[in-house]
Amino acid sequence: MMDMNDRSTDQVLIQLIERVAERDQTALKRLYELSSPRLYGLALRVVSRPELAEDVLQEAFLNVWRIAGDYRRSLSPPMAWLGLIVRSRALDLLRRRATERADESEVLDSVHHETIAGQAVDPMDSTDIGQQASALRQCLSRLEANQREVVCLAYLRDLSHGELAAQLQLPLGTVKTWIRRGLAHLRGCMARFA
Amino acid sequence: MNLEKYPDLLDSLAASYALGSMRGLARNRFETMAREHPGIRAAALLWQERLASLTEIQKEVTPSPNVWKRIELALELETQGATKQKPTPELPLDQSPLGLIDKAGRDVRRALVWWRSAALAGALAAVVALVMFAPWRAAPLEHQFVAVLADDQSAANLLVSFDPQQNALHLKRVGQYREAADKSLQLWALPPGAAPRSLGVLGEGRELKVTLAGRQDLAVPMLAVSLEPKGGVPSEKGPTGPVLFKGLVATF
Repeated sequence: MMDMNDRSTDQVLIQLIERVAERDQTALKRLYELSSPRLYGLALRVVSRPELAEDVLQEAFLNVWRIAGDYRRSLSPPMAWLGLIVRSRALDLLRRRATERADESEVLDSVHHETIAGQAVDPMDSTDIGQQASALRQCLSRLEANQREVVCLAYLRDLSHGELAAQLQLPLGTVKTWIRRGLAHLRGCMARFA
Repeated sequence: MNLEKYPDLLDSLAASYALGSMRGLARNRFETMAREHPGIRAAALLWQERLASLTEIQKEVTPSPNVWKRIELALELETQGATKQKPTPELPLDQSPLGLIDKAGRDVRRALVWWRSAALAGALAAVVALVMFAPWRAAPLEHQFVAVLADDQSAANLLVSFDPQQNALHLKRVGQYREAADKSLQLWALPPGAAPRSLGVLGEGRELKVTLAGRQDLAVPMLAVSLEPKGGVPSEKGPTGPVLFKGLVATF
């Protein structure tokens, strides 16, 4: 049942992306309506601040407008493809800001709070995600909260161990241990879904 | 060592590689091996795929309705730039020479105060659509998107694009705001650490044009529009009225 749902949601998104490739603005709007809450949540997670996350979302959708024709070649589920575009826009924005401004500490503070709160992954088991994402979510939910957080942050913000330690104000050794253990558990768990 | 003979180690390295926690030399070595051995490459791709799903499972948050409006405006601008529509009417220009900034202390102080009030207004609102067309840049002769100037409620009021052929900025009014008959809107470049510099006074039409001294006029982080007496004020005087709209300049 859930599998059917996945496929029909994916089919809708795929058709919309293909219509966007043919310059159909209505399709872009519909795609935005269906996917923007998930993608905005992602952007917010990477850049922390709503005004920056809005910029990221906007850039990402303009990018989708330009490159929708490339979607088919990517072989990815539609939400994963959209998610990668948002993450890459968000990382670009963080890099630009890091070189342009000195107010990074502001961002880091909010990172810290959010990490303590530990709300990284949507706990709801929604049916709009693909099989692989669903497997990853199950596996992540079995990790200790600390391990889950550092693994998610390392990936989503493209951070090294040292950068993570600095952002989270934790000893480098602790961060390394959490990542190592988190990844080991994740590997064991994901192998069972392969 | 042939990593493919040690599946557990390979899987572990591939996961660290895809996560990004493998850095520096180790990363370079792994990439080299992956290029040479399809089994290693496959392991890395598998983990890249798996971790990419992290982007799909973040908590849902509904964005402000403004975001879609900004996307629509930027699309409209892009479509127009691509199809080269009718030229926009000329408008009177500020006669003051560009780039001559009085370094006297009072000017710097005034610039600071002005900046501060602009920043304060900005704190209330998510400023600005910062649209970066860089990865898929328009052909050189087409208009290039520069900025969306928004009010302190972050409602877009002016779209700014650059026409490299005419070396001019095209501004399009997209909001409801109209200045009173005895007032003019004036466009300013805000260089960091220096006084605002006038780029020109805007006419009353919906589509406006401001000719630049050079592209370097756009080498500033921010543009702003202030409300001034009819005809505007000299550049060296700086803005005298309230800042109505502002926005970040996209880098080309």
